[in-house]
Amino acid sequence: MRSFINFCRLGVCISVGLTTAARAAQAPARHVDERIDVKNLKLSTTVQDVVVPLPGEIFTALNKLGSVNWGEHVRTDKGGNFMERPRVALLLGTVIADGFIAVQAQNAPAVKDIGQRVLKLSQQIGVGNSITPHAKAIIEAADKARWENVRLELDRTQKSVQDAMNELHDEKLSQLVSLGGWLRGTEVLTAVVTKRFSPEGAELLHQPDLLVHFQTQLQQMPADKAEFKAPIIHEISEALGQVRPMIEVSGPAKITQESVKKINDITTRLDFGIVTRE
Amino acid sequence: MNSRAKIFLIASALSILSASGGLIFASVDDAQSFALEAAAPYVKEGFQVREDYWGGDLGSGEKKAVRQQLFKGNEYWFWMGTEVERAKISVHIYDSEGKLAEQPDGWEKGHFAAAHIIPKATGSYFIIVAVEESPEERTHWALVYGFR
Repeated sequence: MRSFINFCRLGVCISVGLTTAARAAQAPARHVDERIDVKNLKLSTTVQDVVVPLPGEIFTALNKLGSVNWGEHVRTDKGGNFMERPRVALLLGTVIADGFIAVQAQNAPAVKDIGQRVLKLSQQIGVGNSITPHAKAIIEAADKARWENVRLELDRTQKSVQDAMNELHDEKLSQLVSLGGWLRGTEVLTAVVTKRFSPEGAELLHQPDLLVHFQTQLQQMPADKAEFKAPIIHEISEALGQVRPMIEVSGPAKITQESVKKINDITTRLDFGIVTRE
Repeated sequence: MNSRAKIFLIASALSILSASGGLIFASVDDAQSFALEAAAPYVKEGFQVREDYWGGDLGSGEKKAVRQQLFKGNEYWFWMGTEVERAKISVHIYDSEGKLAEQPDGWEKGHFAAAHIIPKATGSYFIIVAVEESPEERTHWALVYGFR
């Protein structure tokens, strides 16, 4: 049924999509408020939680600041074998982020390896069925060096994993997948910027609302469930508190080279904790 | 029947059904389909459209804000869709201070609305979606975005 719906969507996109641009060109002038009252907006209940960007989104911006040797950041280590689902969820997030890095590096063997790893981890937390077609598509696209398709499938993989977790009322695990991906993306971002510092590169770390979002989610992890008491979760929560003041700059203040290095140290330590059984 | 013919028939059927008022297909998923339709031409221009989407339902005159982390250096389009044929919807982008931050080439038409931004700074932005007018009591909406 799902594939039928997707098939229908494709059909609609083909038939109508081509005319949309033409419609847009004919659209009348529109009224728009020049300002909104953000303070009241934040106090109201109508604000959706902050949207967590994909690692690929940050890497796209980073690429524009100069060439990056993505190959040196590719990682295909298998990582630890965990039984605790929160640990698997965190690891899965980092492995998906590794997939985006391997795409940037256009490293087909690494992408294929990561595709298999994503499938295995998804199976470990009971959402493997929804990932099988994506893992297959990732491997096929990597074989044909269709990097855009690999990127798209990684995006679909993350969404499918999280949708499946949400359907199983495992929203907390879904949040940990996003967090794992963000931490790995931030580790690589800070490694690249540390190596070749620029204020523009450092500015990509200006993500204060995202940090608050993750901190809030970690504080709301079920304290009564033993599996959520893994030390790494507490460690991440504490570390985010250390990172926050370094990226919460305003006005003319900039994120410093020293801060970037410190955040790299922190995220590297956390990433090691995520992939390694202590 | 070959696959092209099948796609054409299904697309035509869905277009006719949606034009009849969207009574048969009335969900956020359908609104998402329209948002994706709005995005389709931009994919050819190199925009990567995210799989995830945000949606819900709003009454006439109601707004909703989606907070979004945007990165300087990237270019973004946000596309909003609804399945309600005669609804008027809008999407606009404001920075963290509440100042309009979008490019002037955004547009609104029928089932669709779109807003474009080339962020001047990395940080949080507010994407404000609204159902300006609608014949329905509640109108489904969905928002997707793409970047390059």
